[in-house]
Amino acid sequence: MKTIKNIIITCCVFMAITGCDKGFEELNTNPYAINDLDPEIIFANTQVTLSFGSWEGEATIAQYFQNAYDLGATSGFQFNENNNNFNQIRWGNYGDPIKNLVQGLENISDDPSKTNLKSMMRIWKALIFMNMVDTHADVPYSEAGRAYLDSNYTPKYDDDAVIYEDLYKEIKEASAALNPTADIVTADLIYNGDVTKWQRMANSLLLRLGMRYSKVNPTKAASIALEAFNAGVMQTNADDCVLFYNDLYTNEMNEISGNNPRFYYLEEPLINRFQLTDDPRSTYISGKYPDPNDVLNTPPDVTLAEQQGFPVGYSDFTAADLPDFPGTKGTGLDYSQPNYFALFSTLAPRFFITNSQTKLLLAEAAFRGWIPGNAQALYVEGIKASMDQYDLYPGGYGAISVTDQDAYIADAEVAYNATDALELINTEYWVSNVNNPLEGWSNFRRSGFPALSPNPYNGGLTGDGFVHRAPYPTQESGSNPDSYTAAGIAIGGDNLTTRVFWDIP
Amino acid sequence: MFKKNTNILLIIKKNIYTCSLVNHKNYKMMWKSIANSKDHLISTNLKTIKSMESKFTIYCSQRRLMRNAIILRTIMFSVMMLGAFGFAHAQTVTGKVTDANEVPLTGVNVLLKNTSTGTITDFDGQYQLQIGGQTSPSLIFSSLGYETKEVSVAGKTIINVTLNESASALDEVVITALGIKKESKKLGYAVESVQVEDLQSSRTNNVGSSLVGKVAGLDISPPSSGAGASNKIRLRGQSSFAGADNAPLIVINGLPMDQGNRGADMINGNTRDRGDNLSNLNPDDIESMTVLKGATAAALYGSRAANGAIIITTKSGAKSQGIGVELISSSTTNTVLDFTNFQTEYGQGTNGQRPATQGQAAGTGQFSWGEKHDGVPTVQFDGVLRPYSALGKNRIKEFYRTGSAMTNSIALSGGGANGSFRTSFSHTQAKGIDPINEYRRKIVNLGLNQNITEKLSLSLNINYTHENNDNPPQVGQQGQGAPNFLYRMSQTIPTSAFRESNYNPETTTERQTSGFQGTLINPYYLYDRIFYLDTRDRFLGTATLRYEFNDWLYAQGRINYDFSTSFNERNNPTGVGTNNPLNNAQTGFGGSYDVENGTGTDLNADFLLGTNKEFGDFSVDFSVGGNIYKTKDRNVSAGARDFIIRDLYSIGNGVANVQDLGFARTQVNSLYAFADLGYKNILFLNATARNDWYSVLNPDLNSYFYPSVGGSFIFSELIDSSWLTYGKLRATYADVGSANGVNAFSGILNYSLNNNAFDGQKLGGIAGNVSPNPFLTPFSVSEQEIGLELRMFRSRVNLDVAVYEKTTTDQIINVDLTQTSGYESTPQNLGSLRNRGVEFILDVTPVQTDNFTWNSAFNAAFNESEVLKLSPASDQFLVAEYGGNEFLGRLYYQVGMPLNQLAARTYLRDAQGRIQVDNNGNVLATSPSDYKYFGSALPKWTGGWTNNFTYKNLSLLIHTDFKAGGYVISSTALNGLRQGLTQESLVGRDGSAPILDAVIQGTDTPAPAPTNLASYYAGFRNNQIGDPFIFKSDFIKLRTIALTYDMSGILRDQNSFVKKLTLSAAIRNVAILYKDIPNLDPEAFASSGDTRVGYEQTTLPTTRDFTFTVNVKF
Repeated sequence: MKTIKNIIITCCVFMAITGCDKGFEELNTNPYAINDLDPEIIFANTQVTLSFGSWEGEATIAQYFQNAYDLGATSGFQFNENNNNFNQIRWGNYGDPIKNLVQGLENISDDPSKTNLKSMMRIWKALIFMNMVDTHADVPYSEAGRAYLDSNYTPKYDDDAVIYEDLYKEIKEASAALNPTADIVTADLIYNGDVTKWQRMANSLLLRLGMRYSKVNPTKAASIALEAFNAGVMQTNADDCVLFYNDLYTNEMNEISGNNPRFYYLEEPLINRFQLTDDPRSTYISGKYPDPNDVLNTPPDVTLAEQQGFPVGYSDFTAADLPDFPGTKGTGLDYSQPNYFALFSTLAPRFFITNSQTKLLLAEAAFRGWIPGNAQALYVEGIKASMDQYDLYPGGYGAISVTDQDAYIADAEVAYNATDALELINTEYWVSNVNNPLEGWSNFRRSGFPALSPNPYNGGLTGDGFVHRAPYPTQESGSNPDSYTAAGIAIGGDNLTTRVFWDIP
Repeated sequence: MFKKNTNILLIIKKNIYTCSLVNHKNYKMMWKSIANSKDHLISTNLKTIKSMESKFTIYCSQRRLMRNAIILRTIMFSVMMLGAFGFAHAQTVTGKVTDANEVPLTGVNVLLKNTSTGTITDFDGQYQLQIGGQTSPSLIFSSLGYETKEVSVAGKTIINVTLNESASALDEVVITALGIKKESKKLGYAVESVQVEDLQSSRTNNVGSSLVGKVAGLDISPPSSGAGASNKIRLRGQSSFAGADNAPLIVINGLPMDQGNRGADMINGNTRDRGDNLSNLNPDDIESMTVLKGATAAALYGSRAANGAIIITTKSGAKSQGIGVELISSSTTNTVLDFTNFQTEYGQGTNGQRPATQGQAAGTGQFSWGEKHDGVPTVQFDGVLRPYSALGKNRIKEFYRTGSAMTNSIALSGGGANGSFRTSFSHTQAKGIDPINEYRRKIVNLGLNQNITEKLSLSLNINYTHENNDNPPQVGQQGQGAPNFLYRMSQTIPTSAFRESNYNPETTTERQTSGFQGTLINPYYLYDRIFYLDTRDRFLGTATLRYEFNDWLYAQGRINYDFSTSFNERNNPTGVGTNNPLNNAQTGFGGSYDVENGTGTDLNADFLLGTNKEFGDFSVDFSVGGNIYKTKDRNVSAGARDFIIRDLYSIGNGVANVQDLGFARTQVNSLYAFADLGYKNILFLNATARNDWYSVLNPDLNSYFYPSVGGSFIFSELIDSSWLTYGKLRATYADVGSANGVNAFSGILNYSLNNNAFDGQKLGGIAGNVSPNPFLTPFSVSEQEIGLELRMFRSRVNLDVAVYEKTTTDQIINVDLTQTSGYESTPQNLGSLRNRGVEFILDVTPVQTDNFTWNSAFNAAFNESEVLKLSPASDQFLVAEYGGNEFLGRLYYQVGMPLNQLAARTYLRDAQGRIQVDNNGNVLATSPSDYKYFGSALPKWTGGWTNNFTYKNLSLLIHTDFKAGGYVISSTALNGLRQGLTQESLVGRDGSAPILDAVIQGTDTPAPAPTNLASYYAGFRNNQIGDPFIFKSDFIKLRTIALTYDMSGILRDQNSFVKKLTLSAAIRNVAILYKDIPNLDPEAFASSGDTRVGYEQTTLPTTRDFTFTVNVKF
C-alpha cells in the first residue's frame, strides 16, 4: 500500500518538476528527414521540373495546334477565351524550380568551391524568368521563391523591362564566372558539367534576350547581340541545350495522348506551310490515325499530301459548315493530328535553347548588320540545324537526309533572298520552333512573322487580333491580391491583348 | 452473514439492478451522488451509507421504473432473505403512495426506520410491509425527485401517503472533464446527455450518424459516401478556420481522441471516405454519452477540446449483480433514394441532332442536346440501335443495390462484492449500396472495476476493433467513381448498355462512351478491375488507479493507450478512361498499385490529486493534476507505377517504383488545477487553470496558460413556487490555448530525394510545398456563455436556454501562398473568428397517465459566425478553388462576414440591372478578379424535434430534424445544365434566348439566341458564373420513426428465464419535408471536412434505412 502511495506521489512530483518542455526540441525533429542536400542534386532536379508550357497554351496561340472542342474547360486561346486552365500552366509549375534554385543558391552563397554550380543555377534561373516574362509580362522576380528565406508570402511583381535588365546582368555575370578549372558539376543532366557548352548556351540565351529588343530598342538589341556573338554562342547541334527523357521521367507536355486525343489537331497554317514547302519535318509532327481517339496503338499516316490542318477560328461544330470539311472519323474529326510517335511522344526530347535558334537569330542580326557574318549562310545553317534535331526523336523515322534538306532549302518558298530576308528567317524560326512553342510565339510577336491571320473567334480580339500574353492565374487574386491588382494596372490591363514590354506594334 | 452496520443499497440503473453492500462512513457523499443522479434509490438504510464508485449518470424514467418494479421487488426480497432479516412477528402495513395530483407513484421506497426492512410500491402505488418488534415504528417514504416523508405507524395498518416533489434531488450527476463526476447544478456551462437507447434502435454503421438533430448545437452531417463513412461533427459552429481539427474531442472512458476523420476531401487528394474514430464503437456498449458544449466545459482537456467534447462511457457491469447475458441482433436494409428529376423530353446528341454514327454516339454520350425522344431506333456508343427514348432514366436505382447491415452482439456482465465486469463482442457486416463496397467490423469490449483494497480501486476499459472497409466509394470528383458518371450521362442510353459493352476488345480498354472519356468513367469497366482494401485494427485501453487516502483526499493515476494500425492495398487498373492501354511513355501498361502500412500511437498519462471538504454551509473541492499526451505516427508505403505484366498487381511488377516513410511525433505536457466552491445548495463557483507546453512549436513560444471561471445560482432554492421545481442560472468564461493545426517538425526545412533516378542521377529538392514557419505561437479560443435551466410543473416542462459567444484569436491557419513565393502554403497566426449563438431545449410531457405517456423534446440552435481578422495584408482569404479542373466557385473567408462564403463570378449587368451578352448571345461575366459572395456555406439553424409516445409496453419515436441558413454550389446543377440533362436545360431549345431580359452589351438590343446551347452553358463554367447553380442547403427531414415493443413485463409474469426482450423497428430518412436544391438530397455531400463545405459534387445517393433489432437478456 505504501508503495502505491509513493508511486502516486512520485508521479505527481515528477510531472510538476519536469512538466515543462524538456527534450521537446529534439522531439520535434524528424530522425528520418534529410536536413541538407547536395545542391547539385537540387540543380539537376530543376532541369527536369522547368515548365515548358503546353500545347493548348502558347502552341495554340502560335497557331501550331488546337483543341477543336468548345466545352468550357477546354475552351481557351483557340476561341479567344481567357481561360484560367491554360493561363496558369507555366505559372503553376515555376514555383517549385524557383524555390529550389533560390534556396540552393542561398545554401552555397558563400561557398567558393561551387563557382560553376552557382553560375549554372543563375543561368538556369534566368531562362525560367525569361520564359515567365515572355508569357505574362510583369511577374514576381526579385521577391519570388523567398517565402521561407524572408517570410515574404506576397512577392511584388517586378516590371518586365526591369527584369530583363537584371536577366542581362545575371547571364553576363554567371557566364563570365564559369571557369573550366573550377568545380565540375557532374549532376548536370544537360551538359554533364561541360563549362564551355554552358558558356555557349548562356551566350545564345543572351543573344535571344538581345534580339527581343529589336523593335523596342534596336540599338540595345544590336549591342547585346554583338556582345553575345563575340562571347561565343552555340556552334553545332552538339551545343544544343536539350534534355532527353526516359521511362521514368517523361516529356509531360506530350501527355495529351492519354485521354481524349480526339480533341487535338494541328492547325491549318502549320500544315499549309508544310505542304507549301514540302517540309520533311512534317513526318515527325503530323499524321492521321485510323481512329482519332486511338493514337498510340498504330503509327499515323504521315503522307504529307494526306494532311489537313484544322482551320483557325473554328470549332468542331462550326468547321463542319466549311466547304473543305473533311468529315468526322470515329469519335473525332478527319484533320491532321500530332504524331505521338515522334515529336509528340512522351519520350521526345525537349529543346530549350538550340543551335538552330541561334543561327537564325544570328542570320537576322547579320542581315540587320548588327553582327558580322553572312545572313544567308546562317539562315541555311539554321534550317539544317533544325532538321538535324529530328534524328533525335523517337519513332524510327531516322534522320532527315542531306538531300531532303537541300531540296527544302532550294524550294522557292524557302530559298533566301534579301528582300524577304526578315520574313524568311522568322518564318523558318516559327517552323523550327514547333518543338518550343513559347519561343515560336515570342518570336512571332517580336518579328511579326510569319504572316499569320488573327483568329476571328468571338468577334476577334482588339488590337491586331492576336493573343499577346497569357493573363495571370486567377488564383493570384486570392493568394496575392494586392500585388496582383497592382500588376494588372502596371501592365495596362490583365488581359489577352496587353503586350510584354519588348512587344510593340 | 452481514456485519452489523452493513447496509444494503439497491439501485436501478436503467435495466441494471445494482445491489451494493456498503459500510459505515461517508453517508453524505453516497447519498448525494445517488440522489443527484437520475438513478433510483430503492432501499437504503439512511443512517449508515458510505461512498460508492459506480457511475450514476443515466436518466431512468418513471415508466421504465414501472416496468422494472416487479423484478426489483423480487430482487429486493431475495436480498433481504440473504441478509437474514427476520420478519417473525408480523404486523402488516399496507397503503398507497401518490403524488400531489393523486397519481400513484411507483417504485417509492418504503423503509422501516432504523432497520433494513423495506419494500417498494408497485404499479398502482401500493405497498405492503411487515413490521414487528420495534417500539414506536415509523416508515420512511422516499423516491427520487420527491421529498422524503416519515410517518409514524402508531398502530395503523393502512398508511396512505402523498409525496411532494423536491427540487434539488432532480439534479443529475454528469461526467465532466477528466472523468470527474459533478452534480450538474454546480456547473456554469451547458451539458446535454444523449438518449442512448435511440442509438440502438435506429442504429447506423457509425454511431455519430445517429446523433443528427438530437443535441442542441451539435451539427452533424453524414456525407453520403459509403457503408463505412465518416461524419462531419461541429459543436456550436465551426470554431476555427479550416486546417485545425474542428470536431469536438471524443473521450471514451477517459481516453481522449480526435474524431480522426478520414473523409473524402479532394483538397487533400482523398476521394474515398474511410470513416472516423466513432466507427470504432458499438452502440450497444455505450452506457452514457454526454456532450460538453463549448470551450468551457472542456477547459480541462486542454486544446484538443476547444470545440467541446463528447464524453462516452462504456458499460462495465455493476457490482453484486450476478452473471447476465445480453444478445442483440439488428438488421438494416438501405434502399436507394433517387431525387433526380431530369428532363426526358430530349435525347442524346449535340446541337439538336441525334448521333448518326457509332463514333458520334461514342463522342456525345455526355450530351442531351439532341432531338426530341421519338422512339426511332438510333445508334449508340456500342454500335447497337436502340429506340431513341429515355431508356436510362432509372439509372441511379439500376446501378446501386439495396444495401444491408447486420450487427450481432453478445455481452456478458457480472459483479461480485468487490468488483464488476462486462465484456462484449459484436460483429457488423454491411454491404454498401455501391456494388463493390463492403464493410465488416468486429469489436471486443471489456470493462472492469475492482476494489483491490478498501482504499485502492482499479478500473480497466479495453476496446479492440477490427475493421475491413472494401472499396469505399470514390465520390465528389470528376473522373473515377460511379456518381460522376451516373448523374451526367444522357438518359437515352440504357444502363444495361453500359454494363454489357464496357470493354472494347479492339483497344483492350474501356469502351468509349462519351466525349469526356478521361473524366466520365464507365463504372462497370472500373468496378470489375479496381480494388481499394482498407484494414484497420485499433486498440483502446484505459487503466485507472484510484487511492483514497482518507475521506477527503484522493489520488488518481491513469494511462490511456490508443494504438492503431492500418493496411491499405489499392490499384488503378489499366485502360480506364482511355483507348490506350499503354502509359504515355509506351514503356508499360498504364496504372498503379500501392500498399501502405500505418501505425499510430497515442499515449495519455495523467494524475490527479483531489480533496473535498465541507465547512458548514461551504463546500470546497480542489484538485491539481498533470497530463502528458504523446503521439507517434509512422507510415510506410510502396507502389508500382505502370506495369510490365498487365493486370498483375505486385510491387515488383512496376516499370517505376515509389516508396516512402512518413513519421511524426508530438507531445503536449500540461499542469492544471481546479476548484469548486459551494454555498449551501444555492451558489456554486468553478475555476480552472491550465498550462500547456507544445512540442510542435518553437521552444521559446511553446507555453500557454489559460483559465476559466464559472458559476451557477440555484434560484429555485430561494423561491417557494408551486410550479417551479428547479431553476438555475449559470454563467461562465473560459480561455483555451491551442496549437491545433501545427504538424510535427513543421518549423524545419527538410529535403527529399525523388524515388527514381534520372539516368542514374539522383534528383531531389526541398521536401513538400509548405514553407516552414518557426515563429508560430499558440492561439486561443475563449468562450463565454450564460444559461438558464427551468423545470416546471413537476418536471413536465423543462427548458434549457444557453447564449454563448466563442472567439478564436490568432488561429494558426495554413495560408495558401502564391506559387511565386515558391511554396503552396505556410502556417501563420492570423485568423480571428467569432461564433455567437443561442441554444434552446424544450422538453415537455403533455400527457402522462398510467398507460400512456407522450414526451415531446424540441431543440434548436442558432449559430452565426463572423470573421474578425485575417492577415494584416488582406481582409480576404481564399480557402478553396472549386473552379479550374473542377467546376465552379470558390470558398472564402471575408472579414466582417460569416465564415465560409461561397463565391463565384456573376452576370455582367448594365445600369438597369439587365444581364449583358455579347453579339453572339453569350452571357458576359464580371471580371476574373471580381467574385461575388453568395452566402455562407454553414447553416445558421440546426435542430430537431423528437416525439416519444409510450403506451404500455409499446413506444413510438418520431424524430424530425432541420438545418437552415446555409448555401451550396451544385456542380450537378451546372453539369446538368451544360450537358442538357436538367429541366432548366429545356429553356431555349425552341431557338429563343435563354435569358429573357438580357441585352447585348451596351445596347438595348435583346439578346440573340445562342447558336449552340451546349457552348452557351459551357461559357457559364468557363466564366465561373455561379448564379443559376447556388441554392439554399436548407432542409427539414422526417428522419426517424421507431417502434419498440418491450416484452419484459410479460416474460416476468411468466417467470421466464429470459429477463428482457425488446423488439424494435425503425425507419431512417423517412421523408424530406422541405428542400431547395433540385435533383439531390441536400445531404448528398461528399466531404466531412471544412475546405469543401458548400460544394456539391456528385456523391452516392442517400438511402432510406429499415432496421429491426432484437434485444434479449438472460
